[in-house]
Amino acid sequence: MVSPELFHASVDKVMEIQIHDIFSPPVASRVFVYPNIAAYEILAQKTPEMESLAGKVAELTSIPKADKAINLELSALIAHMELSKSLIFSEDKMEVLQDSLYKEWTNKNENEFNISKDYALQVTDHVKKWMNADNYNQTRTMSKFTVDTDDPSRWQPTPPSYMDGIEPHWNKIRTFVLDSAAQFKPKRHPEFSLEKGSKFSEELIEVYNISNEITAKGDDSEEIEIAQFWDCNPFVSVTRGHFMFATKKISPGAHWIGIAKIASTKSDANVAETVNAYTKTSIAIADAFISCWDEKYRSNLIRPETLINQHLDQDWLPILQTPPFPEYTSGHSVASGAASTVLTAIFGDNFQFDDDTEVPFGLPIRSFKSFNLAAEEAAISRLYGGIHYMAAIDEGLKQGRNVGDFIVSNIKMKFE
Amino acid sequence: MTKRLSFIFLLIFACSEKQDETDIDSSNNTPFNTISSSDSGLNFSNDLTDTGDLNIIEYLYYYNGGGVALGDINNDGLDDIYLTANQKPDKLFLNLGNLKFKDISIKGGISQEGTWSTGVTMSDVNNDGLLDIYVCKVGNYKGLKASNELYINQGNNTFKEAAETYGIKFSGFSTQASFFDYDNDGDMDMYLMNHSVHSPYSYGNSRLREKPDQVSGDIFYENKSENGQTKFVDVTAQSGIYNSALGYGLALATSDINNDGFTDIYVGNDFHENDYLYINNGDKTFTESSDSYFNHTSRFTMGVDVADISNNGKLDLITLDMMPYKSEIFLKSGGEDSDKVNKIKASFGFNQQYARNHLQLNNGKYFVDVALMTDTYATDWSWSPLLMDYDNDGLTDIYITNGIYKRPNDLDYIKYLSTVDFARYAKTTQDTLEQKLINTMPTLNLPNVLLTNTGELTFTNSKVDKANKGTYSNGAAYSDLDNDGDLDIVINNINENASLLENTAKNNFMSIRLLGDDKAINTNGTKIYLYANNQTFYKEQTTVKGFLSSSTAKVHFGLGELASIDSLKVVWQDGTQSITKNPNINTLVTIEKENTSNFQYNAEIDFKFEEFEYQHTENKFLDYERDALIPENLSLEGPSLVQEDFNGDGLEDLFIGGARGQEPVLYLQNRNGSFIIKTTPAFVEDAAYEDTDAIAFDIDNDNDLDIYALRGGNDYQEGHEMLEDRVYINDGKGNFTKLNSKLLSTNGATISGYDYDKDGLTDLFIGNRSIPGAYGLTPYSFILKNKGQNNFEIASKARFGMTTDSKWADINNDGNIELIVVGDWMPIKVFSYSETNKFEDKTKYFGLDKTNGMWNVVEIADIDNDGKLDIIAGNVGLNFKWKASLDKPVKMYLDDFDKNEKLDQIIFYDFFGNYVPFASKDKLMEQIPLLKKKFTNYKSFSMVKEITDIVDKPETDILETKYLYELQSMIYKNNGETFTPQPLPKRAQLSTIEDILVDGNKIFFTGNHKGFVTELGEASSNSGGIVEISENELLNYSSLKLPKDISGRKIVKVNENKYLIITNNGKSYMINR
Repeated sequence: MVSPELFHASVDKVMEIQIHDIFSPPVASRVFVYPNIAAYEILAQKTPEMESLAGKVAELTSIPKADKAINLELSALIAHMELSKSLIFSEDKMEVLQDSLYKEWTNKNENEFNISKDYALQVTDHVKKWMNADNYNQTRTMSKFTVDTDDPSRWQPTPPSYMDGIEPHWNKIRTFVLDSAAQFKPKRHPEFSLEKGSKFSEELIEVYNISNEITAKGDDSEEIEIAQFWDCNPFVSVTRGHFMFATKKISPGAHWIGIAKIASTKSDANVAETVNAYTKTSIAIADAFISCWDEKYRSNLIRPETLINQHLDQDWLPILQTPPFPEYTSGHSVASGAASTVLTAIFGDNFQFDDDTEVPFGLPIRSFKSFNLAAEEAAISRLYGGIHYMAAIDEGLKQGRNVGDFIVSNIKMKFE
Repeated sequence: MTKRLSFIFLLIFACSEKQDETDIDSSNNTPFNTISSSDSGLNFSNDLTDTGDLNIIEYLYYYNGGGVALGDINNDGLDDIYLTANQKPDKLFLNLGNLKFKDISIKGGISQEGTWSTGVTMSDVNNDGLLDIYVCKVGNYKGLKASNELYINQGNNTFKEAAETYGIKFSGFSTQASFFDYDNDGDMDMYLMNHSVHSPYSYGNSRLREKPDQVSGDIFYENKSENGQTKFVDVTAQSGIYNSALGYGLALATSDINNDGFTDIYVGNDFHENDYLYINNGDKTFTESSDSYFNHTSRFTMGVDVADISNNGKLDLITLDMMPYKSEIFLKSGGEDSDKVNKIKASFGFNQQYARNHLQLNNGKYFVDVALMTDTYATDWSWSPLLMDYDNDGLTDIYITNGIYKRPNDLDYIKYLSTVDFARYAKTTQDTLEQKLINTMPTLNLPNVLLTNTGELTFTNSKVDKANKGTYSNGAAYSDLDNDGDLDIVINNINENASLLENTAKNNFMSIRLLGDDKAINTNGTKIYLYANNQTFYKEQTTVKGFLSSSTAKVHFGLGELASIDSLKVVWQDGTQSITKNPNINTLVTIEKENTSNFQYNAEIDFKFEEFEYQHTENKFLDYERDALIPENLSLEGPSLVQEDFNGDGLEDLFIGGARGQEPVLYLQNRNGSFIIKTTPAFVEDAAYEDTDAIAFDIDNDNDLDIYALRGGNDYQEGHEMLEDRVYINDGKGNFTKLNSKLLSTNGATISGYDYDKDGLTDLFIGNRSIPGAYGLTPYSFILKNKGQNNFEIASKARFGMTTDSKWADINNDGNIELIVVGDWMPIKVFSYSETNKFEDKTKYFGLDKTNGMWNVVEIADIDNDGKLDIIAGNVGLNFKWKASLDKPVKMYLDDFDKNEKLDQIIFYDFFGNYVPFASKDKLMEQIPLLKKKFTNYKSFSMVKEITDIVDKPETDILETKYLYELQSMIYKNNGETFTPQPLPKRAQLSTIEDILVDGNKIFFTGNHKGFVTELGEASSNSGGIVEISENELLNYSSLKLPKDISGRKIVKVNENKYLIITNNGKSYMINR
């Protein structure tokens, strides 16, 4: 009675609420991963292909054992919804989905539903205890990023909202599979220099020139389509005088969760296979953000928009709105590198798919021959968007693939 | 083609909940009666119909409304009315007397096309004795094509449009024009204020104001008449006026701000651009001088007026902003910039601005804002301030129009309601989408406000509302329309008939009509001084004021009970004066420009000070980056100062301790009274320490004064070596060496010494400021007993407050010494020492237990000369966003509410009758993310009224709650057993008092503090003053006349009449008083 579609529905609901509640990309990655792991651990008990993550993922211990009468698929879904509900803010939106399902199940087999739900709540508690020790709460009140406009290379808040640098302490969040946040520390970015001919300065001018070229080509150019397609900025504020509003979209991590859904559906994955794909993709994304944010607030590098406005063109605007955190490395590149590597391990290379994740946001479907090619396009979109230098893209993609490879080599990925 | 993607996506909503902010709790205890349009004939309504091509998304000032001009166009003694409309035609109404009006627009030749008129000005442009009319327009934009119009009065109630002939046919974004004589040559020149429409996407750099803009930049025209034909010539560039798109000019006033006989210009700009104050140099040029005249200004400045509010003969100034006064609107509106954004704007070159009304008092040299103290800072989305005496009591009142037809700063709207449904987005449906976006926007319908001046910088607030349902009011103007001796008001409303308020005030008055001579018929800028019963009433004849409007040219004085005037002095723009003895009152008096004599302007000379060479340099540490919820930064303490004779030459020297990174300095006094630095290697070595206080006494028993330097800083944890105190030993000649010893390593704030155990050795009290990283929690303070041989031991320690200052004195003269300690969130604490009871807390015994304040300094002296010691204590003052009383204290709840091992400080204060949380929803949720579940939108947060609305534990279970009951700086007069509180005068409450020096019957003080977070705002309205206690125990205030914008920390008397003021992070000043 629990179909893969219901799991998709629960994940979609989490995505929808994330957009409404406005989660930054790193925090969004955390919201996805814990409910998936809870569901995974429940199903692993009856699915031999699913190796328990206890002992594999940092500090996770075995969940309470289920007795025979429990419908594990049902428990897994309930655990997913319950844990998700505790992580998002607008609980009422989750309850809408829960209420209709719970009612339906109660009608079908009240006893089975009740014991499966009780068990799901036990597991939820277990996972919550583990989750609450990941340092998330402590990092809420740590020092903010200090702006120092006297240091020409240091990141500064960017227009139009000049928001604080988000999550400066995300590297203190407990990793999942990685040994530490710095395990795949990328090589240092080209040394900051505005001297003509320096690597850094050339990459800065490259951002400016490419942006101008594609702007000249117009909104229908391939590059602008790519930039828009992979924008994945959860909160873009638009200002018209006193009149302000926001356009909201899914985060980079959510986009890849969406691709995991597409791949699962296309390969007719059953419930266990679906949860397996979601769980491992979301672990990869979560570790990718910890790894990436570790570097971002190590290098604290200034964004192209700030430098171009200061030194090249006061009126220049990037095609995408610059997100509020340091430049190096590109978060989307790291997340895409990690997620694509894991998805390739699960579904195989050269897995063709039509990516319709962004359709609800008025963007077209894009087709890809493989996860890796999609990741490469996601990475380069940041250059087209005018928000990253090339080094952050190249090194970010490498960093993400290193994260992905490490996860693949440490956790059993696919059903065989 | 839009380059920014975000602009492309327009817009549909999932939610179309209608949001109305209707305000109906209005009262009518004002002198005004509303006259209906059916009685008055004043049929006019500025109706807006969304035509699709122009709306708030396409034009940001779509809801700014229309203006009003009042003036006598036919010289029949009755002021007539011109009203501007945006989409409908403007109207001209002839005053028929008895508040009856007749629409003569068509016959009068007024264009009856709706061409988006904005501001209107009546002025005799061509010096023919007849009022002409200049109407500003939005043109050259989208479908709007019009240009500004100049209606020249033909003398028979008809007008001819002649803007082009006169050289002022401008087409662009005009807001308002003012005609005044900038070069005192007798003819009217014109300042044209335009606004900008480009979206303030980024703050850019303030240097952008050098870049000219054809349609948005302001323009200055000189009137250069040739062969009898008036001709205006653009002299913007050579006169020093900015002409850039950075200026979002919405407010305009032209007045002689610095009283030198030349008219200056105030331009109020919306958004991040500074307001401009163009000081007239007298040579056909202006110098933009806002920075040297204001500590801070309104941010979204929307209206301005200039008049003497405090009856001291100087012109004060009000600017309006959009700060709400209802807690539920306040809590869901965008507030002040974050401290970070505030810093970023400063780095771009913008001056300090706060999103609230400013009431700027002129002290003769510069202005200080008193809006917080007078509770005039919040009248919500406000447009037109009109400063006039509406109740004829001799005091200038304030009338304010407000309301916004669509309120786009609603945070729910910005974050949640305006969510775009991209799936349904298509370019062809953009208009429909915009329409929906606009329809969901909340409205704000409010009654207008009358702030009645009751003297002594107090205003009573009443709502003026004709139908008890609020209005969307914009431009407004006043005039005695029925010539009954009081000022009536006409208001232009959106989508509603214009309001006519008949004034029914009764008191004595005097109304003056000025008649210029042939050379200068137009008398704009003339100054009128009225002398009666030892009072001076001062007004300047200016007509452009408020918003989009110009008021009557007649000058009106309310006289209250005064039955006669001694004399009337009229100072004409050309620097001559006419004096009339015993003029008639309760009538209109006409003063002609005849029998004039020369008038002398006196340059202000009493702001005299010399700089002293010491300069304190504060290190950069931003406490709020570490503690998001704190109200003040604690790392702006110091410098410390000790005044003693260190080298035994009979002259008092100075030891000054610096901030982290700045070494202490010893200044030795010379015979001639000058000071010279004595370089001391031991001090240089200790530059890395932050000195917060110091004391000199003979530590090593060799009959000279050694120094105990108290160190602190909120940047290191307790116990850190960077917080360790130091002792410097004197060799008797002023040579100091460091004593090797282990001393306290806390965030020290105050040190004071007394031999309490009478063993011949000075013992110490050391009070601490904070536990670094946990604002609000109480650190230990210590009694150090002097054991001799350079040894001190902790005799006692206790937690009683975040201390700032301490004194030892036997205040009840019983032979037992008392220790008096003050600080933040604590009362004035008194401990009495005796052999038996040790340090006994006698705060309550002395009646001081409910004196919790933000105390900075305490002095003990017999100020009233009655033989008993009084307590004088400096507090944060009344010019502060927080208000506090015994009934409604400020409350600070301290606990780790989310159990993440970090202290949370949740502060509540009384905001116009309701308690509100000090931290915004965003700030609070960032600190305690779980609250996002409780408050999924701003509306729910806007209902919060107490701590239990936020946290789940009962109030009694909260770790600690601290209170503020008293914010005033006070004298506590000793009655023998208890103390009677007496606040210092109001002017001494304008800012924080940081140090006090009692000299005979005079209390000298210095103050100001920049450590408050942006939401509270810096305290900068009083650099220092003197309070003198007269024979009859009255307190008289006078200013120390220190420079503006200093943070006074110490004041000492260095010689007869000579005082030294040392500041935090700034220069030092020597003054003679």
